[in-house]
Amino acid sequence: MEIVKTLDPRVQACIRKRGFSSLSDVQQQAIPMVREGKNLILIAPTGTGKTESAMLPVFDAMLSEPAGGFRTLYITPLRALNRDMMQRLEWWCKELGISVGVRHGDTPASERRKQALSPPDLLITTPETLQAIFMGKVLRKHLKNVRYVVIDEIHELAGGKRGSQLAVALERLVPYAGEFQRIGLSATVGNPDEMGRFMCGMRSFSVVEVPVAKNLDISVDFAGDSFEKQAEWVSKAIDRFGSTLIFVNTRVTAEALGHHLFARGDVEVHHGSLSRDVRIDAEERFKSGKIRALICTSSMELGIDIGHIEHVIQFGSPREVSRLVQRVGRAGHQLNAVSRGTILATGFDDLLESLVITRRAKAGDVEEVHPPKNPADVLANQVAAMVVEYGEISRDRIREIIAGCASFQDPGLLLDQVCEQMEGHRLIRLDGDRVITTARARRYLWGNLSMIHDERKVPVFDMVSRRTVGTLDESFVVSWVQTGAVFITKGQLWRVLDYEEGRIIVEPAHKARGELPSWEGEQIPVPFPVAREVGALRRTRDFSPYAARKGPREFAVRFLNDMDLNRSPVATDERIVLENSADGVVCHICAGHKANEALGRVISILLSARFGTTVGLEIDAYRILLRLPSDVKGGLVKETLLTLNAGHIRGILEVALKRTALYKWKLVQVAKKFGAIDPDADYERLSIHRLTDLFEGSVVQMEAYRELFAVYMDVGAADMVLEELNSGKIDLVISFLSILGAEGLFSNRDQIPPPTQDQAVIGTLKRRLDQQEVVLACMNCRSWKSRTTVSRVPETPVCPVCGARLIAALKPWEEELYMVANKKKKTEEERNTEIRLIRNANIVLSSGKSAIIALAARGVGPENASRIISTLTSGDAFYREILKAERNYIKTHRFWQS
Amino acid sequence: MNIEFVPDGPALLVEGKERVLVVADLHLGIESEMARHGIHFSTRSRERAKRVIGCIRESNPDYMVLLGDVKHSIPFISRQEYRELPRVLEEFRKHVSFGVVPGNHDPGIERFLKEGELLPRDGVLIDGTGYVHGHTYPAPELAGTLIIAGHHHPMASLMDEVGCALRAPAYLLSLLDESCLNLPHRDDPDPPTRVLLMPAFNELSGYDIIKIMKDPFSPLSRCLIKEQSEIFLSDGTYVGSVDFLEEHGDR
Repeated sequence: MEIVKTLDPRVQACIRKRGFSSLSDVQQQAIPMVREGKNLILIAPTGTGKTESAMLPVFDAMLSEPAGGFRTLYITPLRALNRDMMQRLEWWCKELGISVGVRHGDTPASERRKQALSPPDLLITTPETLQAIFMGKVLRKHLKNVRYVVIDEIHELAGGKRGSQLAVALERLVPYAGEFQRIGLSATVGNPDEMGRFMCGMRSFSVVEVPVAKNLDISVDFAGDSFEKQAEWVSKAIDRFGSTLIFVNTRVTAEALGHHLFARGDVEVHHGSLSRDVRIDAEERFKSGKIRALICTSSMELGIDIGHIEHVIQFGSPREVSRLVQRVGRAGHQLNAVSRGTILATGFDDLLESLVITRRAKAGDVEEVHPPKNPADVLANQVAAMVVEYGEISRDRIREIIAGCASFQDPGLLLDQVCEQMEGHRLIRLDGDRVITTARARRYLWGNLSMIHDERKVPVFDMVSRRTVGTLDESFVVSWVQTGAVFITKGQLWRVLDYEEGRIIVEPAHKARGELPSWEGEQIPVPFPVAREVGALRRTRDFSPYAARKGPREFAVRFLNDMDLNRSPVATDERIVLENSADGVVCHICAGHKANEALGRVISILLSARFGTTVGLEIDAYRILLRLPSDVKGGLVKETLLTLNAGHIRGILEVALKRTALYKWKLVQVAKKFGAIDPDADYERLSIHRLTDLFEGSVVQMEAYRELFAVYMDVGAADMVLEELNSGKIDLVISFLSILGAEGLFSNRDQIPPPTQDQAVIGTLKRRLDQQEVVLACMNCRSWKSRTTVSRVPETPVCPVCGARLIAALKPWEEELYMVANKKKKTEEERNTEIRLIRNANIVLSSGKSAIIALAARGVGPENASRIISTLTSGDAFYREILKAERNYIKTHRFWQS
Repeated sequence: MNIEFVPDGPALLVEGKERVLVVADLHLGIESEMARHGIHFSTRSRERAKRVIGCIRESNPDYMVLLGDVKHSIPFISRQEYRELPRVLEEFRKHVSFGVVPGNHDPGIERFLKEGELLPRDGVLIDGTGYVHGHTYPAPELAGTLIIAGHHHPMASLMDEVGCALRAPAYLLSLLDESCLNLPHRDDPDPPTRVLLMPAFNELSGYDIIKIMKDPFSPLSRCLIKEQSEIFLSDGTYVGSVDFLEEHGDR
């Protein structure tokens, strides 16, 4: 306890009174560093006393300084964590005579007023409320007192835009407070130094890291692929271990599992969609032991104190190592106790993935967190914030302030681009170097304190059953939904009739064609290294490094044997398998969601360009489903993959991405954060089908691209797959649909239309002509005619009566002309008709079906048909000639008079 | 009479004795209305005006018909319109004389027009062709003509086997039910009364043709004879009949 003795006697007394007999590893290492005034990143598992590591020396320092509000800011990502921290720190503060307060979205107005007049020494808050504090004239004056900023669960913030915004806020604090000490508390991450740079910019910092792996005891189990059996397994596990936290990956699973287990009477569900009261009640009941198990989503990942947890169940693969470590780390809440957890795998992919992630967790291979570089919408948000804060500010000054944080160290022209865009939608005014506030800037800020995208949900209303059948994301509706479009929700197809009164009106649809893209909740992507290792495990089938129990291991081996028995090649890290199915081609590539997203999109773009057709795309971590017209098969996909060069992916995507739903969806989100679209914008009164085009070439578009390439797609990993394919390290085989291809659960869906109008038009023309009715009439024997459609006509039609090939192809309304031409006695006009028919038949005689196709076009008679034929074109060029002939006809007097 | 499609508008050049350029639904000033609905952009009026001038240069007309909804704000003229309209119209005047068939978005447009530029609300016959914005019942003298109309902002969605391959501004040419339109009875129904619905010149506006058909919102669209309706793209490319386009949905 040498270290304790260095602290203020009052703090020492508190430590004794609290009954701490010894300091944890983390505390021993961290306390002296904090006391020295160093900026510090503290990486340790939950429950190792991270908060005290930071706060004991901070209390110590606060006691030795003159009083003044807001001396310490304690920032957490969640209101629930704020409340928890308040409970935890209140006792210390009371003992030490330090005032403490919470301020966030739920804080009542009376409490806020009190804080403005007499600010607490220690303020516990969220990044968003810190933004609001800068907006209050009275409140922000107190910021000059800030000496210490502690950021809890910093890993949760650093990887996203909330973090970038917070980093700028810290720099905005410096002009008020001068330099202050920064302390970040983080769960295990693969790159602690990056965390430090994120928090401190160019300032120096130290890192204290306590490895997590040695405390983890994780196993993987499998209970068959039926949900009932899995639920039963969970129930038994609860009986065996006592207090249990059950993590699931989606809210839907949480509800479904809850439904199965509620009958026990000792299980509750806890997720973000439930009201705060319901959640707090569940937490309390778990803490007090009234219930044994809590089913939760990532809502329980962070360190909210819910008492002792004996065992953590992860229902289905955790997808990421960091998530597994974080979740299982919730168990065994005493210092140095072992955290015990079990993953219940739900299928073949899921099982292998769980084994791989468990091995990596034990080896300490946790994913890195990458803070966004130059997120333009965050900059726009913070420019608006600074303009409101100062009324008027120079761009140079803004540049100086943001240069302090790592996210904007090298912004280039970004600030100017952002300012110009914002002036375009009247959020700020520009006068040379000066940036000036507007009435709208303040309103914008109140609606956009947070960088979290607040997605409005648009209800989907079924006209037929007159009930609401689900919801769609607003960004998705704006960019994609149109009358006639078909989409899937709740496993059923719907056709859009209208968008009115804030609802999408639909009716049930039957055919799957033209399905709309969809994102049913943003899923956690499986990282490239994990998917590759799963591929390697499929190849070696060596389960020895994976500590798999007998049951799961036997299931996996049996599954692979079944593949062999069916003569289905198994895709691995060294083999890509393309499977032809009724829906299209399933490409098995073990590369994870983000690499597959990039690969799938590039292949779709190339195929759509080459065949002039729309390509449907669905992906997961191990496969890509390409929905293609029936004549495009695996061989053509193979050709596309093999001729694609590594290094070209990014370029192709940049050109073609804007035709996809993913891009439009992201663009609307970014535009909202830019203030170009208000949070409550009303689209339905405007028919703005080209909304997204308005951002062409703008910084809003740039940001959408930046985010797509940084967050949704891994071009580097996709390049690597292609390189290995080109060098022969990965081979590629084509096969028929296997059990592995049929098993896929595809949740992300998009459509890539052909790149030019030309291709869509030619496609439509071909189908129209194919369906066109045609009357074939023999001009030789004059006694045979037959009505059919162009698609049914053979290459060289022959008269079944006389065997001649002199056959005229007539439009349905020209049928009577055959009778006229066959009259014994003809007028001059009727004679001319006969001549026309013979000319028609002569063209068919010399050119066969091509002539019939040309003659089926609008306004194309024998003269035009021979002109088209004489161009000697074929394929698309032939159809282009037909289009030209139709256009010429439509321009004429004859057409408009008829 | 010949009709030339001007794809960079979209606009039409109707050639008879005179060369008449037709531009429908400019909706100048739409930006301030969008801003009221929460969508903020800088004005694109200048870009639209330039596009109109481009069409004039390309087609060299004797006269230009602005087929209604020249402006956007209703019922009052917005500040943006006071600021922008005089300049844009003056620019047009430099190139060609024009007339406005007022649309439902045009109340108050007179104050920006010179003598003779305001045409009748229920349509006008020029050189044998009828022109009407499209929100009213057409004037009786338009019976038996080709009526060119705006107001409906038609767009076509071309579907292929997998999904929607193209959404683009389109023209809808359709036979009209004369009695439904309260047109006077004619003893000789030939030539028939037809309508050509023009796509909006304003690049932001568009309604799917299928929606216009299913959910008609004007006398003209209620009196279309669907079986006799054909669709063209803005460069005059023939797409097919409405029935054909509908079949490429799933029914």
